[in-house]
Amino acid sequence: MRCSKCGAQIGNSYARVNGVLLCENCARDLKLDDMFRRTSSILDQAFPSLGELPGVFSLGSDLDFANAKIRCPRCGTSLRDIETSGELGCIECYNTFNESILKNILKRQGSSEYMGRKPGASADIKLEAEPDVSSEEKPSKAAKETLAPEASEAKPEAKKEEKDLLEKLKKADLGTVPDDTLEEGMKQAAAAEDYELAVKLRDELKSRKGDN
Amino acid sequence: MWYENEGKNKETVLSTKVIINRNIKGLPFPPKMSDADRENVFGMVRQAAGTLGLNFVRTDELDDTAKADLFNQFYSGYSFLNAKDSKTGFLLSKTEGLGVIINSTDHISIVSMVPGTDIATAYKRADDLAVKFEQTMDIAYTDKFGFLTSQIKSVGTGMQILMTLALPGIEKTEGAVQVLSRRAEKYDWQLIPMTHSDGLRESGIYVLANLATLGVTEEEILEGAQKIQTDIIKLENTCRKNIWTKKKILIEDQYYRAYATLRYCRRIEVAEALTLVNWLRLGQDYVDTSDADVNWNRINKLTQRVRRNYQDAGSKITRPKDKSTVRAKMIRDIMKGGQES
Repeated sequence: MRCSKCGAQIGNSYARVNGVLLCENCARDLKLDDMFRRTSSILDQAFPSLGELPGVFSLGSDLDFANAKIRCPRCGTSLRDIETSGELGCIECYNTFNESILKNILKRQGSSEYMGRKPGASADIKLEAEPDVSSEEKPSKAAKETLAPEASEAKPEAKKEEKDLLEKLKKADLGTVPDDTLEEGMKQAAAAEDYELAVKLRDELKSRKGDN
Repeated sequence: MWYENEGKNKETVLSTKVIINRNIKGLPFPPKMSDADRENVFGMVRQAAGTLGLNFVRTDELDDTAKADLFNQFYSGYSFLNAKDSKTGFLLSKTEGLGVIINSTDHISIVSMVPGTDIATAYKRADDLAVKFEQTMDIAYTDKFGFLTSQIKSVGTGMQILMTLALPGIEKTEGAVQVLSRRAEKYDWQLIPMTHSDGLRESGIYVLANLATLGVTEEEILEGAQKIQTDIIKLENTCRKNIWTKKKILIEDQYYRAYATLRYCRRIEVAEALTLVNWLRLGQDYVDTSDADVNWNRINKLTQRVRRNYQDAGSKITRPKDKSTVRAKMIRDIMKGGQES
């Protein structure tokens, strides 16, 4: 860390006023001594006198005022404007506030060295096509069935097959239909709430068992 | 609309937007420009764009329908389109989702948007235009800072990448958003929950944006984007699957409740609609959807239309009750498949 006023390396003792870092010497020059009061001085005078407070406020304003006073000669943007909004007024601002802008960039981006392409020359980037990750991760039909067995019973394809079987059984001469198909049909008709057909199929099965 | 086209990984990544900002040497940046300067920029950009097959339009000459179209397609905000005497404009391409905004924060902001994760296409389209402008105009550039922009945060490459993500699984998994934020920061990216100026928080919608524009090459930014988006999609899928495995009945119940409300609502607020769409998104790959006529295209269309509606943002309909009625009608139409083409 460096002092915003003199640029000296900051040690353990520093002051921060309105977000601006100051070394102890610069802070004392600005009469911010109160920030460096040691225990002994606090014991001597536990509470600052009311008279000292306006001084501290006015010093803060002095710093703000200094930032507001440094302006871009071309567009009139002040350093305070840039610090507040992160916006510059013109290209000349980059020269006027060079160091402040660099600090800002370092704070936000971690590097101040331009490494991108030159104007008018395409970067000629060949990116690999993105994998369709979603489809890789999508559950397969089988997985879906294991995840939701009750839901899988109602899959559209299965529903169509059921419907076909029930339609066939409705039209068929039940005497010619094998037992296992009758049983399957009975279950499906009950599930589909076609109780009329289910009863018909049950009776046919019963009559066959009776015959036997 | 460009976002209704097919896109990779659209279940999680709603859209990818690449913005490349450029400024013309010798003129102040737009916030400090005079009216004469703005007219000057119009003239220079139009001349440069003459051979590029782009249509020039001034914002102050747009009618409400044209403004609604630009707003609903995410080219710019409501206040930008309706600012008085701002002397801003657009260059619009025949390619949907590609355009240039003139005199916004920078003189030239090239915007390229694609559905899903096709970042390579979005970048290529924007970069091709940027190179053509650089070849025909005197663009502000220094070897030290790269392309000079009005905002310090985009100086260097002048490129911003914004991915709009729908992350209901991550949002509903405790601690997952924090894990993802840290992961994004590792790549110099930032995950921001989508919040409107009026305080509305879009449930489950996040924006992922790059932080570094200086000290990195364009290629590094794009590679970082691909890495982070792959990580996000995998994490989101894992979270969705995990939630489904643990709470099947809850997800199925919420899915069908959301479907029914959206399908038959007569009045609905934005926040509620987005929360319900989130339940559809969460269950779409797992719930047996044979009783609900919903597909991913419909879910994505619904999300974008509810999020971005000129009538909502505008002042034509002033009463909130009327807005919610119009919104409900639009949602019902989409759920019915009425507006699908």
